[in-house]
Amino acid sequence: MKKKLLIVDDSSVMRRTIEKNLADYDLEIIGQAANGVEAVQMVMDKRPDVVTLDITMPEMDGIACLEEIMKINPETKVMIITALADKLTGLIALDKGARGFMYKPVNADDLARSFDKLLKRDGE
Amino acid sequence: MESRKEEFEATCNLFINSVSNYFKHLTEIDSDMKVPYLKESDGLVLKDFTGMIGISGSRKGFVYISANREMFADLINMFIGIEDPSEEDILDMAGEISNVVAGNVRANLGANFMISVPTVFEGMPPELNIPENVSMYVIPIKWNNHEAFVVLGLD
Repeated sequence: MKKKLLIVDDSSVMRRTIEKNLADYDLEIIGQAANGVEAVQMVMDKRPDVVTLDITMPEMDGIACLEEIMKINPETKVMIITALADKLTGLIALDKGARGFMYKPVNADDLARSFDKLLKRDGE
Repeated sequence: MESRKEEFEATCNLFINSVSNYFKHLTEIDSDMKVPYLKESDGLVLKDFTGMIGISGSRKGFVYISANREMFADLINMFIGIEDPSEEDILDMAGEISNVVAGNVRANLGANFMISVPTVFEGMPPELNIPENVSMYVIPIKWNNHEAFVVLGLD
């Protein structure tokens, strides 16, 4: 059974880039969200298994969104994909439950490496 | 102790490196940096579409990347294969590249270098307020035969 993926980023070009680059994975894209508020609603409604999550977004940023996602379902595998390249942000995200962390700019190879690890770690 | 001028130039170099890395990493095409210059705050240097990021925390100011439609359209085509993107897509691309370039600088300046979500616009919006007494460092770039400006304004 395909894992359900939610893509969260305030850039629609970035969301579509992620969608395109993950097309070969056994993932069903169940939605896209442009901010944390939309993402939390989609997590409640659609219960994704995997979420790619940007941090710098309007309405609710990715760190606050991550906290909400972990309250709804701590088993959700969240891959942070952010431009914020400082170590502290990465450590905070991992501490709050993210399973992986990627710094933009992210190309197809970067995504493949990180998703290979993320999905293999879950026994896929 | 590092002088303010040296500190400003060091910060500018971080942005130059960030822009170079963006193009090289995502497109495998090098960008060419022309000779940067200082500009007093009597107006902005703009192309047709611009993505601007506010900077707060340890530094205050802004950075923006401005280019014509064709450059952003080329990037969108490379990333998602759309040959005739909408104006919304062009503005989105301008915002995203500005966000990534500014955010990557935090690798050196740390989390106290805080950045806003992007403001995007076409042309020169009348409501845009640029702080006075800000010196702007203009970095002309060329990528894939497109000209663009990276402009850093810090107080």
